Amino acid sequence: MTRTIPEDDRIALNALADGELDTATASTLVARLAADADLQQAYDTIVATRDALGGLELPVVPLEFLARIENLATPSPADSPLLRPRHYRWEGWRNIAASVLVTALIASSATYLFTSPRGPSLEQMVASAHRRSLLAANPVDVLSSDRHTVKPWLDQHLGVSPPAPDLAAAGYPLLGGRVEVLGQQALPTLVYRHNEHTISVVAQPGSTTTAAPRSLASGGYNMVEWSIAGFDFTAASDLEPAELATFVAAYLKAAG
Amino acid sequence: MDSTRSAELFRQIVLPHLRDALALARWLAGNQSDAEDIVQESCVRALKSVDGYAGGSARAWLLAIVRNTAFTWLARHRSASLVMVGDLGDIDDVSRDADTAAEPQPTPESELIRRADQRALATAIATLSLPLREVVVLRDISGFSYKEIAAVLNLPIGTVMSRLSRGRHQVATEIRRADA
Repeated sequence: MTRTIPEDDRIALNALADGELDTATASTLVARLAADADLQQAYDTIVATRDALGGLELPVVPLEFLARIENLATPSPADSPLLRPRHYRWEGWRNIAASVLVTALIASSATYLFTSPRGPSLEQMVASAHRRSLLAANPVDVLSSDRHTVKPWLDQHLGVSPPAPDLAAAGYPLLGGRVEVLGQQALPTLVYRHNEHTISVVAQPGSTTTAAPRSLASGGYNMVEWSIAGFDFTAASDLEPAELATFVAAYLKAAG
Repeated sequence: MDSTRSAELFRQIVLPHLRDALALARWLAGNQSDAEDIVQESCVRALKSVDGYAGGSARAWLLAIVRNTAFTWLARHRSASLVMVGDLGDIDDVSRDADTAAEPQPTPESELIRRADQRALATAIATLSLPLREVVVLRDISGFSYKEIAAVLNLPIGTVMSRLSRGRHQVATEIRRADA
């Protein structure tokens, strides 16, 4: 039989579990915990409850709902930041970047709407996205050469992530990842570097076929498209076509 | 301030926190579709008053609006369920807590709670009165600090701490009860 823990102690234990106690109070309480099994048990229960509740997922914001909310601020039909004219004022960049990130954050898991693009083709959108990323302060949302950071980050934000091998040994270090919103889709994007060039690899989930790399050019960038492992990939860079093809070969080899 | 500026502020301040807004509204209202109505109504209010946003935590500012909108909405649509909340004066009266009696526990309670599934947790949260529930949701699901919660709810931190303690305790008790 354990004794009842006084409410004041219970409140202090909760605050301790949340890191909301000042150091002196915390260390006094920790000392008491060590000497009092009942208190320790109450603390364990609080931590377990906090952890269990913390494991509950935040709701996904449906894209349709987001569109409704965005419309509150802009009652005109041209809502998608990507469909606005390309000649943005500079102070608009911050908002656009925020808007793109927001859309990506909340468009997690299973809300990929495959709309046949009536406007710009995927290549054109990837080229625009690549250009934007070069103009932004940082071409990545998560900066890391560690694929063990990039992949979980994309997973967490989109519920899906492509293979993200680090190709540093082949001369293409992984710079990080970001989320691109192209049309209605939030797409995981890997960013590699080669010498002074940046390579964006946009992965569109849902591919059921495998397709060999195909070179093309759009929007002033060289591109390669291919499909493997459930994704349609598009790589964009200002690298020469042959160099970009070499990168894609290295990626394919590493991604297995 | 013109409407373009308001719209820009709205995008910067409101849109990043829609997920937390929906989470709070959903746990207060109990379902997604009512939560979306509440958040949409909140966003309309937020857009109107965004010019007056004075800095500080944008998230706390928005969630305060969501919270107040939710209560108005619930009073309008579900006045019956609000009765369950009881008198706010009672809520913080610790002596009313009927469930402080400890019981023998063959399994450590913390183990039991760690094994609880999402449904058991959701059921336990639903048993909380709204004043306890909102504190638990803001703290444990959305990860707000005590100070942020105090700002959202316009309460002293001491009250936040007390309600959180009681809310978590009740969740733990409900899980233990459900498992018995």
